[in-house]
This record gives sequence, structure tokens and C-alpha cells, in this order.
Amino acid sequence: MSKFLNYTFLIFLIFNVNIAKSFSDNLKMGEATIQQMIIEAQKHAINTIKLEANERSKKIALLIKKYINLDFMSKATTGTFWKKASETQREKYKTALLKQIVLTIEEHLNTLATLSYKPTKSERRGKKLIYVRGLIEDPNKKKPDVNLLWKLAANKNGSFLILDLEIEGISLVSSQKAETVSILRKNRGNFDILLNKMTREK
Amino acid sequence: MTKKYKFLFIKCITAAFILNGCSSSTKLVSEDKDPFEKMNRNVFQFNKYIDQNIISPISKTYIKKVPTKIRSGVSNHLEWIDTPNTIINSTLQTEMENTILASAKFLLNGLTLGFYDLDKGETVIKKRDFGSTLAKLNVSEGPFLMVPFLGPKTTRDLTGTILDKQNIATLSSNSIDDLNLAEIPINIIDKRSKMSKTIDNIYLSTDPYIKVRTFYLQNRRNEIYSKKYIENKNNNLDAEFEKLLD
Repeated sequence: MSKFLNYTFLIFLIFNVNIAKSFSDNLKMGEATIQQMIIEAQKHAINTIKLEANERSKKIALLIKKYINLDFMSKATTGTFWKKASETQREKYKTALLKQIVLTIEEHLNTLATLSYKPTKSERRGKKLIYVRGLIEDPNKKKPDVNLLWKLAANKNGSFLILDLEIEGISLVSSQKAETVSILRKNRGNFDILLNKMTREK
Repeated sequence: MTKKYKFLFIKCITAAFILNGCSSSTKLVSEDKDPFEKMNRNVFQFNKYIDQNIISPISKTYIKKVPTKIRSGVSNHLEWIDTPNTIINSTLQTEMENTILASAKFLLNGLTLGFYDLDKGETVIKKRDFGSTLAKLNVSEGPFLMVPFLGPKTTRDLTGTILDKQNIATLSSNSIDDLNLAEIPINIIDKRSKMSKTIDNIYLSTDPYIKVRTFYLQNRRNEIYSKKYIENKNNNLDAEFEKLLD
């Protein structure tokens, strides 16, 4: 009986150690993903400064696509309306959403090159999610620190992709969802009207 | 304060509380529930017009012509002038550490009339106003409002803002009252210059009104409810995200 208990305890211990190790490995991978993306974005900001606006946008879009889960973001920002959209509308929405993200990042890219990023705390949430927290600091202390929270999950290949970013507690996915859903509701779920509004030149 | 203004003040407070009564009894109102949306959108258009044609050009000139050091001095002074509100409201919210820190900082920076931050931003003070005090007293958030010139507010925060202004007016002498009147436009220009990129970005979005509403509500709730609210919000979002990932 005692042998059985010992074996059970041993199996339990190995199992738990493995889970804990895999949890901490996942956290490290998540942190590394964000760190790598920040380094690439900063390099990118410096290297593409002389390029024409269109070329620069294309390069930023490629960089962002590498790190975000665009499929997930599209679903999360359209709520229940996603199911009603056709394949073509879905693809068009993804392109429009990516363009909006690129525009937002372009606005801040040059500033980002002069600031530094410091990871602060990471945690595992639920079964699939990882939170990576960080701080954007101004080395000259002229600008206040900005708190960032990246929400990540592993894809089928095991690499971590960004699902959402919270800047000072404001979630980008929630903000985009509020906007998208409001337009869709007003237009009885008509995706074409939404796409027209999103792609219209301002 | 004259009788006429006292009467107006009481009317505003009563109106704000009546509007608050329109909301449900829960503290937080759903972002989608916007009973005054039509009126709010009209006010938003008016504010946008004023901003794009008057405030934004002045703010851009202010950034261009006024040296950074002077701008930062003005910002510090405006923050200093607002500190008594934080002291009073931190006390009302029994956040004694914040009260002590804010009082100490107010006295220290008072040596330069607040134009220079003598502790160089090392003391972090949580800004507290009557809006947050009302929230701590479990007063409902109330519907979202777009107020002419003031911008986004909830009915609770509008009540708080009126009480805050009343507070400063009661505390200060007549000469400081006159100074406050001069500070209102400077405050607007200062805030606009600090948030120029964000505001211009909002105007470029698909529905700027909704963007302002969601940014304001998320930010305000984070300020007021801090950790407890954020944890609750994150738990709900996590559940939603996990469902979508399946």
C-alpha cells in the first residue's frame, strides 16, 4: 500500500513539475515575443524613415502580421456579426482592420524609436492566455511612463501571437469592437456599409 | 457667490441627480446603453467644430512658439492649483496616504506657486475628484453625456465637476477667482497640446463619437475602480477570448 502511495506521489510530483515548467516556458516565450517585436519595431522605425509613406506602411504591415493574430482580432472586434459575414467580406474586413492598426502604429513609430521598453510582470491566465506587462519609458524623463499589457496565446505551431493590447488600461480590441458593432447594429449587420466606412479616405 | 449663481448651481446638481436616476441601479452602465446618443452626437459635432477651428490651431501655435520649459511650468502650475481637490476627495474617500502625499506636495511646490515640481515627479499622487468620491459612495455612474466645451462625462462625473469647481471657488478669494477664469482657457490649450496626437487619431477613426465614448468610459473606470474593476473586466474578457480561441 505504501509503495502504491509512493508511486502515486512520485507521478503526481513529476506531472506537477512538468506543468509548472511548461507554464514558465510559455511565459518566457511570451515575453521573448514582445521583446523581439519591440526591437524589430524600433529598428524598423530607424531603417524606414527615408522611405515613401506607402512603402513604409507595407513594411510595417508585414511586421505587424508576423506578431498579431489577425483572425482572432477580426472575430473579437465584430462579435456575433462575424458569423453572418461572407468569406469575401471577412477577408476585406481583415485587410481594413490591419490598415487601421498600421495607421495607429505609424503615428507613434517615430516616438517609439526614442523610448525604451521594460518588461515588468507576466502571468498565465486561464488555459490559453498569457499576459505580458511592460512599461514604455522616456530615458530623458520628459514624458510620463506608459503602462502596457499584451494579451497573447499560442497558435497551432506553438508560437505566441498577440490578441489584444491595453494601453493604460484601454483595450484596443474592446474599443474597436464598440465602434464596429455600433455601425453594424445601425445598419442591420450589413458588412458592406461597415467596410465602406472603414476604407473611406478621411 | 451671488444668489443667482447659487440657484443655478443647485439647479445643475438637481438636474444631474435626476439624470442619474434614469440609469439602472447598478454602479456601471453598459457602454452600449446611450439614451442621449442623438443629442450627444450633435454636441460632439459642435465640440469638434470648436476644437478644429479654434482650440487646435491655438494649441499648435502654443507648442510651436512657447518653449518646452515654460509649457511644462504652466502644466505644473495647473496641476498644483487642482491639488486641493485631490486632498479633499482623498480624505472623503479615506485614502489617508494619498491625502498626506498630496498635501506635502502641495505645500512644497507652493514655494514656487506650483510652476516648478520640486520633487521632480517622484511622489506619485492619485488624482481624486468629487466624481470618484460619488462613485465610492455607490452613486450610479449614470448615462454618458457629451457636454458642450467640457467634452465627455457621465452624469455622475458632471455632478462631480460642478462640485469641484464650487469647491475651488469657496476656498479661494475673489482675486484667485479671477485668476481661475483666466486659467480655464489656458488649461484647455495645455490639455489639447498634450493630447494632440490622440485627438487627431480619434477624428480619423470610423466613428469618432463611439471612440471617444469607449476611451472615456474605460479610462475613467480604470481611474476610479482601479485594481478591482480591472481584474473583473479582464476576467470577463479572458472568458470571451478563450471561447473565441476554441
